Amino acid sequence: MKTIVIGLGNPILGDDGVGWKVAQEVQRVVETDARYFMPIRPLGTKTVQHVSPIEVDCVALGGLSLMERMVGYQRAILVDSMETGQNPIGSVKVFALEELPNPSASHSTAAHDTSLLTALEVGRKMKLNVPDSVTVVAIEAKNVYDFSEELSPAVAEAVPVAYEAVMNLLKSPEGVI
Amino acid sequence: MTQRITIDPITRLEGHGKIEIFLTPEGDVANTYFQIPELRGFERFCVGRPVEEMPLLTNRICGVCPEAHHMAAAKAADAVYHVNPPRTAKMLRELLYSAFYVTDHATHFYALGGPDFVMGPDAPVAERNILGVIHKVGLEIGGKVIAARKAGHTVVEIIGGRKVHPCTSIPGGMTKGITEDQRKEILEMGKWAVEFGQFSLKIFNDIVLGNKAYVDLILGDIYTHRTYYMGTVDENNHVNFYDGKVRVVDPDGKEFVKYSPNEYTQHIAEHVEPWTYLKFPYLKNVGWKGFTDGKDSGVYMATPLSRLNAADGMATPLAQAEYERFYGTLGGKPVHQRLATHWARLIELLYAAERWVELASDPEVASPNFHTVPTATPTEGVGIVEAPRGTLTHHYTTDERGVLTKVNLIVGTTNNYAPISMSINKAATSLIKKGTVVTEPMLNMVEMAFRAYDPCFGCATHSLPGQMPLEITIRNSDGEVMEMLKRG
Repeated sequence: MKTIVIGLGNPILGDDGVGWKVAQEVQRVVETDARYFMPIRPLGTKTVQHVSPIEVDCVALGGLSLMERMVGYQRAILVDSMETGQNPIGSVKVFALEELPNPSASHSTAAHDTSLLTALEVGRKMKLNVPDSVTVVAIEAKNVYDFSEELSPAVAEAVPVAYEAVMNLLKSPEGVI
Repeated sequence: MTQRITIDPITRLEGHGKIEIFLTPEGDVANTYFQIPELRGFERFCVGRPVEEMPLLTNRICGVCPEAHHMAAAKAADAVYHVNPPRTAKMLRELLYSAFYVTDHATHFYALGGPDFVMGPDAPVAERNILGVIHKVGLEIGGKVIAARKAGHTVVEIIGGRKVHPCTSIPGGMTKGITEDQRKEILEMGKWAVEFGQFSLKIFNDIVLGNKAYVDLILGDIYTHRTYYMGTVDENNHVNFYDGKVRVVDPDGKEFVKYSPNEYTQHIAEHVEPWTYLKFPYLKNVGWKGFTDGKDSGVYMATPLSRLNAADGMATPLAQAEYERFYGTLGGKPVHQRLATHWARLIELLYAAERWVELASDPEVASPNFHTVPTATPTEGVGIVEAPRGTLTHHYTTDERGVLTKVNLIVGTTNNYAPISMSINKAATSLIKKGTVVTEPMLNMVEMAFRAYDPCFGCATHSLPGQMPLEITIRNSDGEVMEMLKRG
């Protein structure tokens, strides 16, 4: 099963960049640690290669563009900041995309075109190979209105917690804890 | 007792914002406010960095039109270094930009603005989206939209070095060129894009212009304002997205001013209101007279419609024919009806596709002469391009090492803050009257006033590819919330 881990957000907008920071930590491990590699023999070749079936990317996309980025993967894990105002700053939540508590509180909805859920449905209608399972790891953020490359302390402390949450998801075949 | 209406969110737009509608004791609209929280500290974030970082940094301001920021920043950096990029570099940039325009305008029409017409302004919310459009018009349309987006993204990746956030424009030109094979590949995709542009205009023609109720809606007074119009034009006064002079025409369509990018401060000033952080740009030499239209008010608009109004025509044959049909159908220039912006956007889409083919047909675009090494001491420069949502101005000042000391941006949508506020007010005032029950379709028609501009406050304020949690709240004369519209 091919999995993509996507860090969402804006890396120069304070806590909004937390998704990227978590995804970069994940990338460092899954691309170098042989335990995450799988033997794959590319079509038409005789040589077996050991590569990671997990790809990691950091993007500032939503809606149709985000759906398009997921084409070709059976499973996607989104890491994103979230502003619900209801959770303590830095708390980490894991849920299926369909359960997103408030679509306007995270990036997976690009209001310029359509929501990710609608975009995924468009993708399926178009017979694009989009993931069956999309899991969100969301970090409650505080400062997303000031340009900065730094995270606020409570959000920075959440990076290892969110990282663990993603790594746990990668261990479970269903993609949801 | 006065009521207040809040719309939250405007479901298909970028950034954060809020519409507040205050009602009189009788139940008519007393006033409306469109508010957006501001993103802070961009200038402070940039000062102290080398100017050549700006084409990379500014395309992080927004997830919707990073290509526009990349281009404006590159042009401003050229100006700071007093360097004129070689013809090939300019062609490559404009080619990338044309392909981007096709995808951006296509996405707006099919996912954002189109559903109001294809499905109807009063269709259920759950159907008034791209899925509804696909369901009604057919699966084929979805495939075409996805293919158009893919073609555009591919061109951006070939020329710009990566998808969505290009990274190849630097002071003096480009970091890399394209091969002859890549030129041919881009040309083939461009030919397809021209067909797609024609197909989209046909859909508009059949579904919107073929329906008298929609034509009446477009031509009606609810969505009409007589303002000044801004757009960039080439030496023949034809629409150009990448380069030229900024031309402004008055409400009668007569040229008011045509200025070079570095003269913008002589012509544009910004008005401040106590109820919002965002400033309202206006024409300095007309003056700020409040939220009002007409020749004496410095309010101007910068959108696809205004670009067509501000130009004498389109530089490519198919788009020119559509341009003539547009003004022939709508009763001559300029067109003041804001909903006609959707049609203007499709004419621009066709122009962008034709320009894509034109540029990719010229073998010089694949020349290895894509960079001129800057040798002058950097000082100050302004770069202007037409972003899909309006004229985009980047203004940088540096020290003699090219390190930024001052940054000023006027982003596409900000130009339209005053006219958007006016359009919301007029739509609300026309639709919400004493004794009427405020319904969701009614509020959607207020949103339509707003959506025609394709506003993206992503860079004006919040720079996320996130949803716009915009509320419409109705308040009574005591300020109490009577109704609040929330979606999503």
